[in-house]
Amino acid sequence: MNPTLFPWMIAVPLGVSPLVYLAGRLGSHKMELNGRSIFVRGLALLALLVTWALFVLSWMEFTARNEKLLFNLESIWLNADGLSFLLAAMVLGLGTFVVLFSGPYIAGEVGEEKYYAMLLAIVGIMIGLGCANDLFNLWMWFEAMAVSSYLLVAFYRERSASLEAGMKYLVQSATGSVLVLLGIALVLGNAGTLDMDKIRAMVSSESAAPFGLLLAGALFVIGFGVKVAFVPLHTWLPDAHSQAPSGISAMLSGVVIEAGLVAMLRALSTLGGFSISWGTLLLAFGALNMFFGNLMALRQTQVKRMLAYSSLSHIGYILIGLGIALFNGNPAGAQGAAFHLFNHMVMKGLAFLAAGAFLFALLDKSGIHRPLEVKDLAGGARKYPLAALALSIALLALGGLPPLAGFMSKWQIFVAGFQGSNAWLMGLVIFAALNSVLSLAYYAPLVNMLYRRNMGEVVERGAPIPLAMNIPLVVFALAIVVIGLWPSLMNWLTEPAAQAFLVMFGK
Amino acid sequence: MTLNSLNVVLFGVILLLAVGFYGLLITRNLIKIVLVLQVLVKAVVIALVLAGKQSGNLGLGQSIAATVIVADTVVAVVALALAVQVRRHTGTLDLSKISTLRG
Repeated sequence: MNPTLFPWMIAVPLGVSPLVYLAGRLGSHKMELNGRSIFVRGLALLALLVTWALFVLSWMEFTARNEKLLFNLESIWLNADGLSFLLAAMVLGLGTFVVLFSGPYIAGEVGEEKYYAMLLAIVGIMIGLGCANDLFNLWMWFEAMAVSSYLLVAFYRERSASLEAGMKYLVQSATGSVLVLLGIALVLGNAGTLDMDKIRAMVSSESAAPFGLLLAGALFVIGFGVKVAFVPLHTWLPDAHSQAPSGISAMLSGVVIEAGLVAMLRALSTLGGFSISWGTLLLAFGALNMFFGNLMALRQTQVKRMLAYSSLSHIGYILIGLGIALFNGNPAGAQGAAFHLFNHMVMKGLAFLAAGAFLFALLDKSGIHRPLEVKDLAGGARKYPLAALALSIALLALGGLPPLAGFMSKWQIFVAGFQGSNAWLMGLVIFAALNSVLSLAYYAPLVNMLYRRNMGEVVERGAPIPLAMNIPLVVFALAIVVIGLWPSLMNWLTEPAAQAFLVMFGK
Repeated sequence: MTLNSLNVVLFGVILLLAVGFYGLLITRNLIKIVLVLQVLVKAVVIALVLAGKQSGNLGLGQSIAATVIVADTVVAVVALALAVQVRRHTGTLDLSKISTLRG
């Protein structure tokens, strides 16, 4: 087998991460600190650009071979299939712009170098998580991702709210990973191996899955469900997303919970193969997440908290797409879900970054450390036309207004639901569409606040938004419009991901 | 079910898990929560070795158990570091007292 490049996508960010930290510890004078900050950011960006180049090269290899890429280090196997590449593209896309955005946002904070080091590490870890092909290996990536995100959530260690959010996140997430590990122990005891392909072969050779494996599946759903924020297990999410630095909120909402979802799907797919019951479970959680997320978001007065609850409902749409694919074996559902995964990264990434830009300019810059309220944004469009437009595009796309990206992927999921002509699925799709309308009830007032109110006092004394923050906003807003107008542009990424998903579940 | 040594170990695992989850429900002190999480993880470590033994793959089970101990130490260290910061900035370790984020 020829040597393959994709492990370097994992190794480069992980390897550069400690270097970024060390570079950040050099120099102590004011002048040096300023230069150091630029150096640290530049190094992080450089590492991500190299990773992008590696991504393109491995992608070309992947399409040339037309099968998943394999790599082994002794007995540890990594393989990159369509789903791994989807996750890698999402993580890299968002990670690069978050590093750019965080420049002015984090500048001068204590522990700036740690922020970039952890950010790079989490990028590498998530790409690795997508490539794991062994349950224990998967758990290791998952745990590493969790640990680096605890540190990032509690980044403002002098603020008690941020510490509280970090602690809540840590306790719930650690409990979840204990449950996952218990599930792994059950699989090991029953199947005698942790290699996913071998477990899959073993399970499908039996007529019914052993009880131990079903129990393991339940433990996986609960354990990974904490990270994916399935509804009764979601309570850490609004706190963590609203208290973390805005770039990290974007990462958490845009890729970390999705990485958790990928991990859960990988683990579940080994047990019981292509089964309708897993599909039903995903559909049920999808409906619950959608509805509950929307209802809770309606009650919020803080911008970032509202966006956090809207992540719950968008996970719901993704679950419904995947559930439909499992239920009627229709790849369109999986492709819609993959498309929505990607779009959610772009839309929610943009929404959190734009909200972060406002938070930075309106409050942080004047030394006020409190959450950004919806009413603070009154008349924001007059002073910050660019950021207001970007935030509005993101919100309307999240609400599913055509012709923006969010509409296209939801539409694809809904169409897939109708194709099976199953009355329950159709009902669910209509419920999802109604939820989409409901979600406009909290997105629209924000847009209204930005454009149709007189300039409030908070906006009047706001500081300008730096260029480094505006660039990611413009790029992401353009991406939303372009994907919305030409949705087939993303097929190159979503089709292999959907195929990989169905292959995983044995279809 | 006969009372062979594997069953005794299994019983121990379940007992430890029960203690851990009960502790998680009633504990409000941050340091104690970290301890309770450790109890849970240790139960799972034993379960992993047990699973390895049961499936005739003891080496795999043991190596995984050792790795889990290392990985979990990292979590415990981060948790304790957070607890130290909480104590410094709020003057208490009681979760119910520092809890301000709701809804």
